[in-house]
Amino acid sequence: MPYLETSAEWYEQSSLLLKARPSTTRITSKYTVLKPSASKVSKRERFASKRSERGGSATGSPPPTVQNPEEPVATFKLKTYDPVSGTCLQYETNKAAEVGRLIGTLSRLGRHQAALPELPEDLTQAASAEGISTPVVESDQKLGAPAAEQKAAGGKKKKKGKK
Amino acid sequence: MADAHLTNDEFFAQLASLFEHNRKTGHGTVYLTQKRLAYGTDASAEAKAEDPLWDAHPEQPLPILIRASNNKSSKRKGAGRPGSERDNATKTKTSTVVQPDQLEAFYVRYAEACRAGMSGLKKRDRTKKKKDKKKKKGAAGEVKG
Repeated sequence: MPYLETSAEWYEQSSLLLKARPSTTRITSKYTVLKPSASKVSKRERFASKRSERGGSATGSPPPTVQNPEEPVATFKLKTYDPVSGTCLQYETNKAAEVGRLIGTLSRLGRHQAALPELPEDLTQAASAEGISTPVVESDQKLGAPAAEQKAAGGKKKKKGKK
Repeated sequence: MADAHLTNDEFFAQLASLFEHNRKTGHGTVYLTQKRLAYGTDASAEAKAEDPLWDAHPEQPLPILIRASNNKSSKRKGAGRPGSERDNATKTKTSTVVQPDQLEAFYVRYAEACRAGMSGLKKRDRTKKKKDKKKKKGAAGEVKG
């Protein structure tokens, strides 16, 4: 159940998983707001007091943003899960700026799920790796389904033993 | 799921109310799930046996099922204990089916709804960056001049 470092990596791996198992894989996004636990609050208070003692002058860094120790923790977590193979890919963020981009990613993965061909203009907006560019090129030649099949077999080493 | 699927419009209304509830209570979770709606379109067992990759190339695009729910929340007894201040809330579940031709339009609205709803996430911190840029600009100007 790995957490992937970047959303691009998460997208790449998820699209491979979707190609291999398009009808059983589900994508869950979880937006959660939690009040910090008592230990977290005290930790934050200690951190804040230490910082104010030092004054932040030694490093010359900008003055620390004062954080309310009671401030709730909000996270946005994406999870691709295939119950048949047990593969689970996760990505977590706490930045509001990423939400729009991640929903865009979900929409592209949704096209996989709906068995629609990938959009060619996805290449421009994606901060994605080169690995995904090949399927787009191939699906342009109206070989969408067979191309996906080849990749599902070849690209996914973990998924052996399917045939 | 016992409840019938909602239309996309009704679903967005429900989704907004889920996020709104989350904002009002100040804590809680909204779960969103998407998967292929293959129910009722499954190939026969024979076809599956013949072609192990039967689901990789369906004859026509399939609809997508979108689910949304929040968490159940229950009040805890005992004053001062964590969770004693919250109210009981039942789990709300909704779902909708998106046809393949409406996928793009749906996701545009979906992104809007999520961006508006997920207000608890950290906003982009612009203050530091602006300062840095000004410094850089100033430095560049000096070099040029």
